[in-house]
Amino acid sequence: MTGPLVEFDGVDKSFGETQVLYDVDLSVDEGEVVVVIGPSGSGKSTLLRCANRLEEIQGGDIRLDGRSVIETDVNEIRQQIGMVFQSFNLFPHKTALENVALAPEKVKGVPEAEAKEAAADLLDRVGLADQAESYPGALSGGQQQRVAIARALAMEPKVMLFDEVTSALDPELVGEVLDVIEGLAADGMTMVLVTHEMGFAREVGDRIVLMADGRVVERSETQSFFEEPSTERGQQFLSRLL
Amino acid sequence: MATQTESESSGGGVLMRDRLVKRAGEVAAGGFMLAIGGLLVWILSTQVNYELLASPLIARRFAEAFFLVVQIVVISSLLSVSLGVLVGLGRISTSNVTGRIAKGYVEFFRGTPLLFQLFVIYFGVPRLWATGEFPFSDWAIPAAIIGLTLNHGAYVGEAIRGGIDAVPDGQMEAARSLGMSRVMALREVVLPQAWRNALAAIGNDQIILVKDTSLLTVIAVPEIMSVFRNINSNQLDPWTPLVWVCVLYLAITMSMSQLVNGLERRSDWGSDSGMFGRLSGLGSGGDADGGEES
Repeated sequence: MTGPLVEFDGVDKSFGETQVLYDVDLSVDEGEVVVVIGPSGSGKSTLLRCANRLEEIQGGDIRLDGRSVIETDVNEIRQQIGMVFQSFNLFPHKTALENVALAPEKVKGVPEAEAKEAAADLLDRVGLADQAESYPGALSGGQQQRVAIARALAMEPKVMLFDEVTSALDPELVGEVLDVIEGLAADGMTMVLVTHEMGFAREVGDRIVLMADGRVVERSETQSFFEEPSTERGQQFLSRLL
Repeated sequence: MATQTESESSGGGVLMRDRLVKRAGEVAAGGFMLAIGGLLVWILSTQVNYELLASPLIARRFAEAFFLVVQIVVISSLLSVSLGVLVGLGRISTSNVTGRIAKGYVEFFRGTPLLFQLFVIYFGVPRLWATGEFPFSDWAIPAAIIGLTLNHGAYVGEAIRGGIDAVPDGQMEAARSLGMSRVMALREVVLPQAWRNALAAIGNDQIILVKDTSLLTVIAVPEIMSVFRNINSNQLDPWTPLVWVCVLYLAITMSMSQLVNGLERRSDWGSDSGMFGRLSGLGSGGDADGGEES
């Protein structure tokens, strides 16, 4: 494949009268980890949510593997895009194992035994093999979020979207979730992350995209962004963090 | 310091008052209990004719009425809960038409008395046929089941809708983001949770349904209150049959609440008090601090 795996092309998004994304261009190559940062309300999360059409866009296009997300069946496109949420959103009436196995079983029609076996492997991968039979209510926030990552991976997506996945966690639980994401990066998973964890962004990101007021204001290689941002907005943003 | 002492003493005063209120409550409740209990003992010892109470004739008539009511309750219960699930789904439908029809249905059946609805069905509906053409020879019991089902379907529908509304939006989003269709997400993810949320309200409504069967006496269903009216007018003795009535209704409603409690316990996942929580807690080792809230 030659083109980018994910491509935002002049994306406009409004909630009623309020425009929240203006002409956003962003492309993500296969195996690349792009970290989207920016102040609250800059449209980072909305951008992610547009990619799997949890939000509909009003202008432009988003392409996955060259195919327009807008013109493809929504349930089909979502199977190829894994999403992890700030608030975990695990299904509380299902065990960790069932949470992971549910979608492959119901959506892809994978036989139950096979889906459960794959789910057990995924739980093992996020370090939760011993919690397979636990209900989410009995898991810590960090454990829940790792189950949520396994659940998204179970659909074997082409790209994973992480929407501020550590923001709801107690500080001491952040590390275990970031470790899992780092492991995915090392395995070559294509990822777009929205995060406020700058140290983590620096460590795992191939590229940094800075958003402000619904626009992309800077995109740089990770190292050069943190060493010398090329735009004034980038400098301002970093100086406020330090 | 003066202020310190003051706040301390007022703290002590609050504590004293708390104890006083508690004590007063106990006295009031105890007094009430004694008064009612005394009245009950007095009625049972002076007003109730025990020969009549135990007579096979009365026992048989109440037993027949009781089993009829149980049958009507079981059928109407199953039908009204099924209808309620459909109505609840209709209320959250993305189709405007379905949503409005469900809403209109709920408004009508909650907004008019059950007795009126029973009259419409029992007296009104057969008149829509030419004389002698109405297919039911004994319309009272079918009319009763239809009336109870339609009426309580509306209440159950609202309970289900409330249960669905109480499921966080993130559940639907998470399910949809995995590629599930809306219907699949509702079935697999939202409804099981909505059911648990709605269970207490549904149970409450079904207990009311049991008691609503007493209205059926006015459309000639030979249920428990009809037997009472009959015996009272023959024997001129209200208290003896009233004992029967009370015991029989409590027998049904208390079994009903046992059933609901059982269902609630069964669907209590995750929390440590629940069956599933306890089972899963066994393997979770040092995670006693589980259930991190976001």
